[in-house]
Amino acid sequence: MQPLHDFAALQSRRAFLSNTGLGVGAIALNCLIGGRQAAAAAQNYGSAVHPSLPGLPHFPASAKRIIYLHMNGAPSQLDLFDYKPNLGGYFDKNLPESVRMGQRITTMTSGQTRLPVAPSMFKFSQHGRSGIWISELLPHTASVVDEITLLKTVHTEAINHDPACTFLMTGNELPGKASLGSWLSYGLGSENENLPAFVVLTPSWSSKANAQALFTRMWNSGFLPTRFNGVPLRSGADPVLFIKDPPGVDRDMRRTMLDALNKLNQNASERFGDPETQTRIAQYEMAFRMQASVPELADISGESNETIEMYGPDARKPGTFAASALLARRLVERGVRVVKILHRGWDQHSNLPSELRAQCLDVDQACAALIKDLKQRDLLKETLVVWGGEFGRTVYSQGTLTATDYGRDHHPRNFCMWMAGGGIKAGTVFGETDDFSYNPIVDPVHLRDLNATILRCMGIDHKQLAFKSQGLDQKLTGVQDAEVIKGILG
Amino acid sequence: MSTLSRPPFTVAAFLFLTMAAYAEGTIEFNRDIRPILSENCFQCHGPDKNKRKAKLRLDVREDALKPAESGEIAIVPKVISKSALIDRIVSTDEDEQMPPAESHKKLTGAQKEKLRLWIAEGADYQAPWAFIAPKRIPAPGIRGIGWARNQIDQFIAQELETRRLGHSPEAPKELLLRRVSFALTGLPPSISQMDRFSADTAPDAYEKEIDRLLATPQFGEHMAVYWLDAARYGDTHGLHLDNERSMWPYRDWVVRAFNENLPFDQFTLWQLAGDLIPNATRDQKIASGFNRCNVTSGEGGSINEELLFRYALDRTETAVNTWMGLTAGCAVCHDHKFDPITQKDFYSLFAFFNSAADPAMDGNEKFTPPVLKLPSPAQENQLREWTEKIAAARAGIKAELARIEYVDPAALDPIPPISQVEEIWLEDDFPADAKPASAATWATDRVQSGKRAIKQTGQGITQNYFEGAEKPFPAPSNGKIFAYVWLDPADPPKAIMLQWHGDGNWNWRANWGDKDAITFGQAGTPAKLQIGELPKPGEWVRLEVSVEDLKLKPGAKFDGLAFTQFGGTVYWDHSGAAYEVNPAADPERSQIAWEKRNEGHDPGEKVPKAIRDIFLANKERTAEHKQTLRDYFLSEVFAGNRERFNLLQTGVKKLEDEKKAFEAGIPATLVMADIEQKREAHIMLRGQYDKPGEKVEPAVPAIFGKLPVTGRATRLDLANWLIAPENPLASRVIVNRLWQQIFGNGLVRTAGDFGAQGETPSHPELLDWLAVELRESGWDIKHLIRLMLTSATFRQDSRMTPALLEADPENRFLARGPRFRLDAEELRDNALAVGGLLDLTLGGVPVRPYQPENIWEPLGFVGSNTREYKQDHGQALYRRSLYTFWKRNAPAPFLTTFDAPSRDSSCIRRERSDTPLQALLLMNDVQHFEAARALGQRMLLEGGTTANERISYGFRLATTRRPAESEQTVLKETFEKELEHFAANLPAAQQAVTFGESKPKPDLNPAELAAYTMVANVLLNMDETLTEN
Repeated sequence: MQPLHDFAALQSRRAFLSNTGLGVGAIALNCLIGGRQAAAAAQNYGSAVHPSLPGLPHFPASAKRIIYLHMNGAPSQLDLFDYKPNLGGYFDKNLPESVRMGQRITTMTSGQTRLPVAPSMFKFSQHGRSGIWISELLPHTASVVDEITLLKTVHTEAINHDPACTFLMTGNELPGKASLGSWLSYGLGSENENLPAFVVLTPSWSSKANAQALFTRMWNSGFLPTRFNGVPLRSGADPVLFIKDPPGVDRDMRRTMLDALNKLNQNASERFGDPETQTRIAQYEMAFRMQASVPELADISGESNETIEMYGPDARKPGTFAASALLARRLVERGVRVVKILHRGWDQHSNLPSELRAQCLDVDQACAALIKDLKQRDLLKETLVVWGGEFGRTVYSQGTLTATDYGRDHHPRNFCMWMAGGGIKAGTVFGETDDFSYNPIVDPVHLRDLNATILRCMGIDHKQLAFKSQGLDQKLTGVQDAEVIKGILG
Repeated sequence: MSTLSRPPFTVAAFLFLTMAAYAEGTIEFNRDIRPILSENCFQCHGPDKNKRKAKLRLDVREDALKPAESGEIAIVPKVISKSALIDRIVSTDEDEQMPPAESHKKLTGAQKEKLRLWIAEGADYQAPWAFIAPKRIPAPGIRGIGWARNQIDQFIAQELETRRLGHSPEAPKELLLRRVSFALTGLPPSISQMDRFSADTAPDAYEKEIDRLLATPQFGEHMAVYWLDAARYGDTHGLHLDNERSMWPYRDWVVRAFNENLPFDQFTLWQLAGDLIPNATRDQKIASGFNRCNVTSGEGGSINEELLFRYALDRTETAVNTWMGLTAGCAVCHDHKFDPITQKDFYSLFAFFNSAADPAMDGNEKFTPPVLKLPSPAQENQLREWTEKIAAARAGIKAELARIEYVDPAALDPIPPISQVEEIWLEDDFPADAKPASAATWATDRVQSGKRAIKQTGQGITQNYFEGAEKPFPAPSNGKIFAYVWLDPADPPKAIMLQWHGDGNWNWRANWGDKDAITFGQAGTPAKLQIGELPKPGEWVRLEVSVEDLKLKPGAKFDGLAFTQFGGTVYWDHSGAAYEVNPAADPERSQIAWEKRNEGHDPGEKVPKAIRDIFLANKERTAEHKQTLRDYFLSEVFAGNRERFNLLQTGVKKLEDEKKAFEAGIPATLVMADIEQKREAHIMLRGQYDKPGEKVEPAVPAIFGKLPVTGRATRLDLANWLIAPENPLASRVIVNRLWQQIFGNGLVRTAGDFGAQGETPSHPELLDWLAVELRESGWDIKHLIRLMLTSATFRQDSRMTPALLEADPENRFLARGPRFRLDAEELRDNALAVGGLLDLTLGGVPVRPYQPENIWEPLGFVGSNTREYKQDHGQALYRRSLYTFWKRNAPAPFLTTFDAPSRDSSCIRRERSDTPLQALLLMNDVQHFEAARALGQRMLLEGGTTANERISYGFRLATTRRPAESEQTVLKETFEKELEHFAANLPAAQQAVTFGESKPKPDLNPAELAAYTMVANVLLNMDETLTEN
């Protein structure tokens, strides 16, 4: 932990409390005013509970919040976004060596005697004013193409899920580094006093094959203090761990207990003079407020039918992707800085057509609804939305190949992601790949560049946001050079 | 000065400057100058030759005094006006200025002044302090006589005096007892311990408590928590499936080693190289498991070389981090920018760990080899018994073999005639010893032979089958398999199929009729041979399949048959195989024929290695070879003895299976071992596993000289070097971590970085004094801890006055006693102990206490064996937190919420955060609320007769002190309010007091108990309760 910083944060927190002349009561008052207004009144980018670092944001931020839609397992760019009309003639023919150029492939297909090309069986068509080509599997996403930038040349080094996801989320293939969301909440804090700064949702999925795992390191703070961990918001009775009072204990009794606790802790504060005790008092109060604000957040009875229907029938089923997407909107609306939805089941080594169809049905309508919903509430312009997986999939088939059945292996050399809102150009395509969607030919985008760009949208210079750990100035983008992708900034 | 297009001095990114102790008087390089240069200059002008700019190097005096690329000289000792370094740091010209603007680094006025002063004084350098072996200087004498209790205090007092700070008074006795109990055992004192201690007025009462606590087994458990962080211990593999691994015997060994006060030099040797110690003991081997605690993967598609590279990397970094307090991570990819550790140095260390014998893919197994079995004496006895029984049974076979008089038919003259054999596999019933899938319908109204036949009628696929016949049927390749069928003309099937089971598979099928009706098997392979049309209905027809078409391995046998049809009614009868027997040419009857067939070939993996070797060698045979072949042939191959030997061998196999099952239940632990032929190590360019550069040998970093060994150095040599008297790092690093554990911060606060980027020690001489003391005491850890705890420094009150907070917010200089939040394990253990629920059973397999639903399940890989959390019950719920199953993908919330590391990688310093999620856990988690109920019950039953007495008792249990009147009043009022509430809401009271699996005493009034439970819930959440005060 950085002592100067923590001390500074502590000072500002204490200053905030004492300046208002109300101490603990100020937070309660703040709760009545509503987190966002209070933060604005304090002329602070973050809030008293989640302050931003001094000097941040470095630039005027085009995005104040981010919703990151992670498709865990690696969706096939070839069947969704990277339209290759000329591949049909290569059906079941070997991938030309001139395309692969000896680049490594996984041991799942390196033992295959041949690498037969599997053209996508899905129809593509152009959509919107921008005329972006989108697969028939994503009809709803197609309806919002004029809001997004489609990145076709994203690439990474890792060829297996675990290291690839770890890299995507933390900028390093080895465990132990801080996740993107942790960096953002560390740097920027949050505008909401009653909810965590960084919330994680892990909805259900439809693919029947073994789904790749999620790891807490995908949202953990690594070397950053653990209060910057993402907080999983769970479906069911206990959306935040231990949010419910024990059976038989009602709100009044909890209040009675906390009143006593506060008085005793005030005594301790006087006895030991430790500023940490005041922080603790404030955190217990925030916990009490969260016990009200979290159930309120999860309760969608105030949403109009129109809104819910826009997200699709699943939106009423807690724990689905659609319900999570709606929740994401409710979270950013309340000033939560980072929302990450991790949807599993995108690892189609075999039975790709039927499995991918099921996966797209899970997310397509809700993704489009999220964009529309944010836009109609005027939130899209300051909310960055990112969609993508940890790598792409191969043009050649793994296992059985027929016109309507194939599988695809891991492909880190190029894959598609899309971004929208928060300062990103609307209705454009960035980068181009070769005829086999095997290597980028124009404007390659490394995941480091993508992360640098996300930080840039959030008002952060990726070269400056650093934390000293293990003798290094640790950065999300690591020690190698990363470039902000200027071409996609609006 | 000339203007250059590119500035010759450049620097990198800004972070947080930490002001070193400001020195009055002369400048000292390591204290005053190195941190400035390291932070601002070394990135481009430091040890990394590839990133060095302007050919200027500032970390070596000789180089800094030479002209740089531009001809300028950075440092001219004592001549400020000629020192380009000074020009550059004061310049306001953007092209000249150092550090350059794009680095976002900036020197303060004070730093510039220090550099100027330093050059003026002659620009003396020192080797990095941490690389010079510690020397003991005598503890300074002090003026404040009477305060200091040992040498630690003398050093502390000196520094306090320099800073014009005083010390604090001694903490109240009860607070001190609680503090020292947590420091040593991670547990609070009991009421009787409190009473005894407060009654003991002897001058050494406190020291006696320390000795008592050091002797409890809970000491080792508490110490192990932090050591296991460094060792990255977990109960799962950590990557991909994150399946369970068996490592807990190593955890128990760590506890034992601390309790037995194993000298730290041995503790080091055993863990880094226990496997290499000659005649290594069981504990030494277990300890070597330190090197096996790294995360491993079994992810399909992974590239072995990459995984092995990563494992060796992790082991190197962990060892360097744990014993050298250095961060080697940077040197994986490039020369260290700040420390004199080059990339070559790193890979030379890597070479010690690069030949580990564990596989790249962990196989998702609990016991990824190499493992050490750890039977108890009783288990060892049982194993011995089994071994003896098996030996006796084998001897029986030998004796039987000796009795056989075998005449090889091929050796007869004339050789015996050829005969036709028809062996029946099915007649009237399934074999008695087979496992039928169902009770077949046997009919007597229509048979081909014998008394009955199978009658099958059904829709779609219908079948009867058995498998697992104890005496499998041979299917010689020259034979035909047959079966008889009678198809009902009134109800014919669409297709019929015969299937055979062997080698654990149903991989052989023959089909008649519609070839797609029965979907089993891939058409056109022996898994689905299409023989022809349906046979004629209304009569018995013999179905025949040529064995050759089934492409069986020679000598293959079937142990199961299936009669399958699609629809219709079919009678099945009389199945078997018909073949020709030529005893002289039959490898199952003639040893000569058998040998002839196998000569020069590998007879396959099922045959013992000794036999395979003989055949493969294809050489003149010794008498011993001949005997081996004869015995094997007669017992395993010869058809004439099959039944006799089958019986004997089944007996042996049964014993062996039983022994195996028993062995599987014996604990085992992953241990370290090297492969025989050591892997080469190379500098890996940019840290990539597939880009080997220069080859390197195992060696310590060049700055430390050479290891005194001839031949290839081993991990044992490395470990011996770490604990050698001249080693500057290990002793300092470990005392610093002990200090951190006891005082909250290390003397070097960056406990994981003793290099130039780390902070300099707050008390360098004390650190060295302690390091030498550790070594000279015989690496006696308990002695060092005792020294720290008996110091007056530790015994101070922890009150922070505003002045102290201003002067030393983090308490680096210890003008007051330590005060910090308890760690994750302590918080849970404390609640259990105060509630009287804690189970102090030592060691053993990890336990699974309460955990909210869906912590593991939504994350885990579907095939993972740690996807579903199966909570334990009973006493396992109340064991010390050390024993909680550590799933690295998702450790228990009570751990992660309170800053425990994930244990994915080595961690030697935990953070201490304060969040609302912690408050929610402590108030609402069943573990804590149940503990509050248990504490409430103790207050009721043990605390006295009045509410005030009971509240005071509970307060004392939680904090070791009695409440002040104001505190008593607050709690009493709360109690009354809660009591009134619960008395009017009895069902709520009942719910509150039955949360959790332990039950309250049935005769207690639920409303009263619930009210005390809520008071206890307050007590267990008090700042003072959550803190080591």
